[in-house]
Amino acid sequence: MVDPTTLDAWLIAWLLLPFLAAFSSALLPRLARPLALVCVLTTLAWGVWASLPGRQVLFELIGSLGVQLQLDGVAAPFLLLNALVVLAVLVDSWRQPPPGPFLLLLMVLLGGLNSSFLATDLVSLYVALEVVGITAFLLILQSREPRQLWIALRYLLVGNGVMTLFLIGTGLLYLYTGSFRLQSLQDLPPGSTTLAVGLALVMLGLLTKAGVFLSGLWLPQTHAEAPAQVSALLSGVVVAGGICPLLRLALLLPAQQPVFTWVGLASVLLGLVYALGDGDLKRLLAWSTLSQMGFALLNPAAGGLFVLGHGVAKGALFLAAGKVPSRDLSLWGRQPLAPALALPLLVGALSIAGAPPLLGYYTKATLETLPITGIPGLPVQLLGWLLPLLMVGTAAVYARICWLPLGAGWQVPAPGGLLLALVLVLVGLVAPLLPGGSPFPSTAALGKGLGVLAAGAAVEALRRGLRRPVTALGFRHRLRLPNLESLIDLLGALAVVGAGLQLLLLRMQPLSADLLVVEAVCLV
Amino acid sequence: MPDPFRLLEAMVLLTALVGLLGLIWRRNLFLRALALDVMGTGAISLFVLVAARSGLRTPILARGELALTAVPSIAWADAIPQAVILTAIVIGLSIQALLLVVIARLSRLDPLLDTASFEALVIAAPPEAAAGRRA
Repeated sequence: MVDPTTLDAWLIAWLLLPFLAAFSSALLPRLARPLALVCVLTTLAWGVWASLPGRQVLFELIGSLGVQLQLDGVAAPFLLLNALVVLAVLVDSWRQPPPGPFLLLLMVLLGGLNSSFLATDLVSLYVALEVVGITAFLLILQSREPRQLWIALRYLLVGNGVMTLFLIGTGLLYLYTGSFRLQSLQDLPPGSTTLAVGLALVMLGLLTKAGVFLSGLWLPQTHAEAPAQVSALLSGVVVAGGICPLLRLALLLPAQQPVFTWVGLASVLLGLVYALGDGDLKRLLAWSTLSQMGFALLNPAAGGLFVLGHGVAKGALFLAAGKVPSRDLSLWGRQPLAPALALPLLVGALSIAGAPPLLGYYTKATLETLPITGIPGLPVQLLGWLLPLLMVGTAAVYARICWLPLGAGWQVPAPGGLLLALVLVLVGLVAPLLPGGSPFPSTAALGKGLGVLAAGAAVEALRRGLRRPVTALGFRHRLRLPNLESLIDLLGALAVVGAGLQLLLLRMQPLSADLLVVEAVCLV
Repeated sequence: MPDPFRLLEAMVLLTALVGLLGLIWRRNLFLRALALDVMGTGAISLFVLVAARSGLRTPILARGELALTAVPSIAWADAIPQAVILTAIVIGLSIQALLLVVIARLSRLDPLLDTASFEALVIAAPPEAAAGRRA
């Protein structure tokens, strides 16, 4: 057994390493690539270490009122995800790094995200998320074209505006609890207005960073217009920086789970409708991120694994999408793709849709194993058909991508995407054998999974069949979805979601004591 | 006479709200960044206010004043929010700087800094993406 103080020292060294490495790589640019690789591999090692059962390290810096960090089972899948996606981006840019201080920013992003996954007090969380936000902003700015300037500016305006609200919420909560700890929110008396306002503002900040529901409307355009590698980072891990603390919050406050449930479901629906209606490959992927993050909130105990499965697949998809000749989906499938480029697209799409031997199938299955009470806030009889229906929607979105002819050729345009696709396949094959992993799927579960996929393909076939008559009859114009992505919509949506959360939290009655006991058992 | 603490709290929150409204409704990008700063001012004053709730005397002592710690009647300010908000002030400042750099770059395109003219950049831009949106 390792001595706890030595363990703490190693942990702090690991958290600081990316920042030190970034600083040294600014002085010695030649060292940048090996240093970045070291940062990624140490993160991967800690992620594996933390995902073994029973591992939990809680440590405090500068006394009991200072920074509090916690490495546990909640953070583990996020650390793995961070390491894998950054590794893939690093592999992709190994030969020819993008212009500007790309690798330096990559290391800072890795470090900032690691801190945000581990932080369990609101102020450290604020600092970590702002570091992530600023780094993501600088990454988007890679080529200084006007469009990217505008997208980056929009991202920073929305992100910083909402983080200021998060800070105000933190201050209001401190008035009541006298502490910035997430745990101290547990023993709050229900029903106070200031408290509901504070909690709503904190949740709004995290929901916006995670790209959920209306507060995540900034996401599609930003993820679609950013350079390919940056899109992979943003859609794969940066949104996870908001999801991880949200899951911690949901696990600590089971009485508020109905709020998470409804926001999550609304996000799933919004993302699905817009993803089905969009004609651009990268925008389709980005809208789908918005819907998948909603899924993660439905079952906080399994949300981390789900985000891991989604992020790895989304990273592969975005890295490959950057190398595709045309992003236009109406021309999709006319040009054959090289197998090394088509493979990440196919495997990523199938994994998110939930095809059985891949990682995505298992993470989805874990998400569906709900506590006996079902999803709090949702009638159980609704749940039986609602979840499969939403999964069919996801399959239908990804069926649009799977329609692609294979070409010939051995060139490997997106090695990082290929790497992530291999991870999806290998982990999917090994998953049943891991300690504490899910068992091999039973025939019933397998049948259900395949049924969902078939239904998704059928929806896509129907959509293709209806396209010509709808255009011919002139319905296309009327069926267009409203554009919700101007800056005033994004900022207005923040105000709307914030107000809605406050109303929900104020009206929410605390669950009865015996129900709470039942839930506590399930969540452990 | 209302409790002065509640009154100040309400005014601080009002400042943040005014900032938010400015951020939403101003068309000029520079004024939007300014509104963001107003919001930040609200957040900082809230922390200062929270720190002053338990007292006004800053808990920093000179060498000869150590005996003061034993005096129970002195109302000390809470040092934790004060310490915490320093970080947020630094972050807010650096973000303002970054925003202004980008806004200065964008002003070459439209010196009036009207938000709508920059939104048109993305909607009307590359031929392939635009074709995808039409189809």
